[in-house]
Amino acid sequence: MTQSTHPSRPPWLSTWFVELFAPESQSEPILGDLAEEFSDIASKSGATPACLWYWRQSVKTAFHLAGSAFRVAPWSLVGIVLGGILLRRFSFGLPEWVVVEILHTLRPYSNLHVDAYMWLINYGIPIVHVIVSMLVGCVVAFAAKAREMVATITLSVVLCGLIMAVVVRVATFGLLEVPRVVWSFDDLFAIILGGVIVREIRSALARRLSHT
Amino acid sequence: MANRDYLGEFEHIVLLAVLRLDDQAYGVTVRREIEARTKREVSIGAIYATLDRLEAKGYVQSRAGDPTPERGGRSKRFFRVTSQGVSAVNRTHRALRSLTEGLDLLRSHS
Repeated sequence: MTQSTHPSRPPWLSTWFVELFAPESQSEPILGDLAEEFSDIASKSGATPACLWYWRQSVKTAFHLAGSAFRVAPWSLVGIVLGGILLRRFSFGLPEWVVVEILHTLRPYSNLHVDAYMWLINYGIPIVHVIVSMLVGCVVAFAAKAREMVATITLSVVLCGLIMAVVVRVATFGLLEVPRVVWSFDDLFAIILGGVIVREIRSALARRLSHT
Repeated sequence: MANRDYLGEFEHIVLLAVLRLDDQAYGVTVRREIEARTKREVSIGAIYATLDRLEAKGYVQSRAGDPTPERGGRSKRFFRVTSQGVSAVNRTHRALRSLTEGLDLLRSHS
């Protein structure tokens, strides 16, 4: 992008990022204010400074909205996050159980090639782990009305802390299983992805209702 | 209790900016007013988070404006300070005046 180009629209990715954190009632005026200032800066200083300003403001705005969402009802959010931790704790063994059941049903040594069996063991379990974590994220986001992102990010941060504590403890005894730890970090992103999915569905429903 | 509450530093600044702007107070103008007068960079998110808190306390009221093209067809949200908000500003000023009374701030800084 050059200084002379004057984009009529701000970067969509940062707009989407703010939308994820803004409550429905605040989304329109906040994005409108950001768009108005973006347009003003772009006409005075060019596209690049306007985009940089917009990104900086978007990140700061999302941060403030997240903090504000936490302060509104902190105890309900704490309850939802604790519920999420318990849900993940009880669903942690589910992927192994699902894959073992699939293998048992398919009778791998008679119907499937050994490579396929190994693929299910090596990749099937991590994939189901990610799917289960995404579902946990969806449940937590569904419970945290209008605060989907704050709830799922908080849950992921808390779980990240717990994983790091386990990693440090296990690493000191030299028993660290690296692949399993990597799955766990994938799971954290999957939880946030669950929050994004629920948030997007809710926003789409709200937009449809406002149009009718 | 609400009528004994003192304003926080940023709440105080935002309320004064809204008062100064009268019927032209919305996110962009409030942000610019604060930056121009305090030389402090603030984000739209910080202003809305504070204005929402002040609205919940009954210190400001908001209304939706018309959508405009430069805003991507999105409407503005105008704010105005209520009589409770004005009382909160006065109460905070009285408390600050009382606390600074008798202090020679210029001498103690030099």
